[in-house]
Amino acid sequence: MSPPAMPVADTLVPQPAPPDSKINRDILRVMEGTSFGYWLLLLISIASVGMAGGIWTYQVYEGLGIAGYTHPLFWGVYIVTFVFWVGIAHAGTLISAILYLFRAKWRNAINRSAEAMTVFAVLTAAQFLGIHVGRMWKAYFILPYPNQRGLWVNFKSPLMWDTFAITTYATISIVFFYIGLIPDLAIARDRATGWRKLLYTALALGWQGTSRQWKSHSRSVLHLSGLATPLVLSVHSVVSWDFAMSIVPGWHATIFAPYFVAGAIFSGFAMVLTVMIPVRRIYRLEAYITDYHFENMARFLLLTSLIVGYSYAIEYFIAWYSGVEAEQSAFWLRAFGPYWISTWTMIACNCIGPQLFWFKRLRTHIPTLFVVSTFINIGMWFERYVIIITSLSREYDPAVWGVYTPSWAELGIFVGSFGFFSMFFIMFLKLFPVIAISEVKELAIHEKAHGDHGHAPAEA
Amino acid sequence: MPAIVGIYDQPGPTADVAKRLRARGFDDIEVYAPAAFPELDDAVDPKPSGVRIWTLIGGLLGVFTGYFISIWMSNDWPIMIGGKPFAAIPTYTIIGFELTILFGGLATLLGLLVVGRLPYGAFGKNDKAYSARFSAEEFGVVVECKDRDVREVDSLMRAHDAKEVNLVER
Repeated sequence: MSPPAMPVADTLVPQPAPPDSKINRDILRVMEGTSFGYWLLLLISIASVGMAGGIWTYQVYEGLGIAGYTHPLFWGVYIVTFVFWVGIAHAGTLISAILYLFRAKWRNAINRSAEAMTVFAVLTAAQFLGIHVGRMWKAYFILPYPNQRGLWVNFKSPLMWDTFAITTYATISIVFFYIGLIPDLAIARDRATGWRKLLYTALALGWQGTSRQWKSHSRSVLHLSGLATPLVLSVHSVVSWDFAMSIVPGWHATIFAPYFVAGAIFSGFAMVLTVMIPVRRIYRLEAYITDYHFENMARFLLLTSLIVGYSYAIEYFIAWYSGVEAEQSAFWLRAFGPYWISTWTMIACNCIGPQLFWFKRLRTHIPTLFVVSTFINIGMWFERYVIIITSLSREYDPAVWGVYTPSWAELGIFVGSFGFFSMFFIMFLKLFPVIAISEVKELAIHEKAHGDHGHAPAEA
Repeated sequence: MPAIVGIYDQPGPTADVAKRLRARGFDDIEVYAPAAFPELDDAVDPKPSGVRIWTLIGGLLGVFTGYFISIWMSNDWPIMIGGKPFAAIPTYTIIGFELTILFGGLATLLGLLVVGRLPYGAFGKNDKAYSARFSAEEFGVVVECKDRDVREVDSLMRAHDAKEVNLVER
């Protein structure tokens, strides 16, 4: 080719590129280097997973008897913990999908970590279904696959609906998480060396941020948000129907679906706060995850706490108003029977504690946020404990009433579930950008062009 | 054929220059952006993204599959309950709904890959016009043009406040 007739000769040699974006540097810095504390936390998490694995192996050898299952209770801590982790998984999709559709820009600082928590929480929850039924390696029995017996699964069972709901939720959460991650993986790829370069090059799929790529990406995120919004509402509704479709006193209530969904969002937001408050402090992300973000989350906690509190009250009201003796007795025993500590812990943590968030000073006071959100996590576990255990142990016939105490095996595996979740999250901190860089950048560039109208992070 | 790369700080001028170049008849335009800016995507190609068709087909396939497997399997292994129909349609709506979302979501991912042409290029090799500055905070407009048009493209890019205009051989 002949050289161009002098026009851009002065610019044939590219000028040195300006220093990298401050947003890139700040957020990618989280992935660099590891401290002693990091390895210690990771080791503790892995050790607790190992412990839970050991207990599970022993349970497989010995049988589900060691899980404390005895008449009349065959749903215990495993199911309680399953519902707890499914609930935790709701914040990510709510933040990513519903707040995206509402154009709530403040979600950008927290959506990535919340999505990651969703994926890890669903994976944790899924373990418990296998642990609970015993022979985990036969889990595929629940899927409708052609078999020699010519037998199909029962689609009328809420447990079957749950299988479809949880599988869909896990898949869509992973897809959502990955699609959102692609542009940020390209940012990491352009700056990484060694094995990380290979990893991010493979995962970024050759992303260059061209208009074709961005257009398809934005459209996919929009569609996935549209799909995930009803999904997030359906998943915990379906989980609630595992209970509500039965005739067990304390379970057989039409309010269960919205009550469970609100509770799930409540616990999910609480977990995001509990995790992100230390992460923000350790990795100095105050410029990106601001008090404004935490305050908005506290508002969500207050709203969902009121919905949950209302549901508790309605349950008691309907038990009284229905005139059904079994219902009345179940609810009386919840508050004043052998499980009264669980019930009052649940009410204190979920209904009373969050009322502090009526005050702006407390909504923006980080230690208060951390303590209240941690107590909400505890309270929400107890909520599921109360719903499942008290109802099953006090059914219609007093002759078959019993008292349930969690066994050491159940508690060990319960503790291990936190290790399982933390292990993934701790590894995620060092492998992927903890904040959605390109989304934060979008706000920052808009701000630079049009002046500061929002609460986006500091300029690049 | 040479490619001219104009570097910009803001999405507005980037979109303007892309539109002007298209209006001048340059078809082979590409824009690089560090984040999603719909005005840029529309400046290069105003047609709506084809991902929507993928989601729609996936969703429809999902709802059909959900109802079909549950109804067919109920009839293939009939459980008689009080003379009621073997298939309980209201409860199967849950299966239909979940599979709508599942298939729709997976089809959207597939749509992103097909419509967005991902994975793009050879492993670890980016376009010559691409650089890490586009994954920082700068925007780029790349035009392939004949030698005789280089001067015009260069001056048009500079007229729209280009920070730099570079020439790359593809």
